[in-house]
Amino acid sequence: MIHSETAFTNDYGPQRLTIELVNICNLHCSYCFRAEDALYNSKPEFLSVPVLRKVLSDAKRVAGTTRVIFTGGEPTLHPEFETVLSAVAESGMKSSFVTNGWHFERVWPAIAAHRDSVTHVAFSLDGITREENDRWRGGGSFDRLVRAFARCHFSSLPFAIKVVVRRDNSDQLEQIAIFAARMGANALHFVHTMPTSAEIDNTSLALDERRLVEEEVAVLSRIFKMNVAIDVGYYNIDAQPPCSPLAGTSMNIDYRGRLSLCCNLSGFRNGTDETDVVADLNVEPFVEAHQKMQDLSLAQHQKRINRLATMQAEGVTPDLFTGSPCLFCLHSFTKVPWHNSTDTEEPGIRSLPVFNSIH
Amino acid sequence: MNSTSILPGKHIVFTDFDGTEGILVDLNTKKYYQLNETAMLVWKGLEQGKTVDEIVGQVTTEYEISLDHAKRSVEKLLGNFQSYKLVTSE
Ligand code: SF4
Ligand code: SF4
Repeated sequence: MIHSETAFTNDYGPQRLTIELVNICNLHCSYCFRAEDALYNSKPEFLSVPVLRKVLSDAKRVAGTTRVIFTGGEPTLHPEFETVLSAVAESGMKSSFVTNGWHFERVWPAIAAHRDSVTHVAFSLDGITREENDRWRGGGSFDRLVRAFARCHFSSLPFAIKVVVRRDNSDQLEQIAIFAARMGANALHFVHTMPTSAEIDNTSLALDERRLVEEEVAVLSRIFKMNVAIDVGYYNIDAQPPCSPLAGTSMNIDYRGRLSLCCNLSGFRNGTDETDVVADLNVEPFVEAHQKMQDLSLAQHQKRINRLATMQAEGVTPDLFTGSPCLFCLHSFTKVPWHNSTDTEEPGIRSLPVFNSIH
Repeated sequence: MNSTSILPGKHIVFTDFDGTEGILVDLNTKKYYQLNETAMLVWKGLEQGKTVDEIVGQVTTEYEISLDHAKRSVEKLLGNFQSYKLVTSE
């Protein structure tokens, strides 16, 4: 099953790790939030399998972790991808991964060999035609994705499609949902763009436009049988933890083996700080790192609660960088140094606690 | 049926599933089609630009069936491909 959290049930899913297997990617999506240097200019780095095995064993014992979600960069570029899947299977955990699908045919035998422990795959998609998708992802991407969908569908391997909502596709959400349903996707997750520079920030959807998108996603979620949701970056001023990292049920491991709060913050493009990283697991005991992570998670959630409470007392409606939990995190952890706004919006914008993070 | 003018549609994405089964995705209708082993062989032949006679010859060899039998099978498959608009005739 592809797990989706909801604010109403406060179900943050099983204890899990997101693990960045690699720093590199074969595609160049302009809205990508991973640091360009790590993706394209640094030497390729791959999480070592011995470190992975140790982390899995420690996380299971200390945190009760049962699931792993591999990300990157592009996780299928890890040269020992099959061994990585084996390590998860041998640990008794389940795995899934987020991929651009380019190398799916190549890694399929490894996935098929671990069908019992691989629960699903999430593919990132930018458009429902070759032209619309490949404009962002490069020629050939769309056909490779469609092949991957076909392979999953006819192998009964559940798959999700992830779509970044931009100005150019924000009026096509229904068509995207129909496409995903026709391809046999089990879930469709929309994601707001991350503000990786002042330029992207300025061209991203404004709060009122994002609200329309969120309302449309809520409508689609009622129409379609597959799970349709929007990731945690949506405007949500509910006092409950908005996501699994802030609820203490998930943590991130980067490709260097460091423990950090959340995959959305890790290696953030143009970020200037790494206060979301709490420990280097190559040298620090997991049990201590885990305690630091719990403290950080709690402190970050409390910080936002305090900010929301102050704003409420002052009678102002939170601006986008406070109302969106992820944008609040980006601000708190100095990932968006060019953005110093503490502006507030006019009252009257309501929270839409429809969905929470989907990992 | 003109043997040299049938080509896979540009709007079709083909996946060789496991060597014995294939999947076509029609990007216009967003529909899946499953191909059995013979249909795979015919589709691959079209992709390689083979004529119908060449494909029939290959089917005859691979399945050790008569020329007539192979011809009927291939033409039936091509008819199906055409009726589902999966191929183009030029
Ligand atoms: S495929 Fe993913 S990791 Fe690669 S550039 Fe695009 S958004 Fe970034
Ligand atoms: S960036 Fe912050 S709010 Fe968003 S998912 Fe991560 S921890 Fe949660």
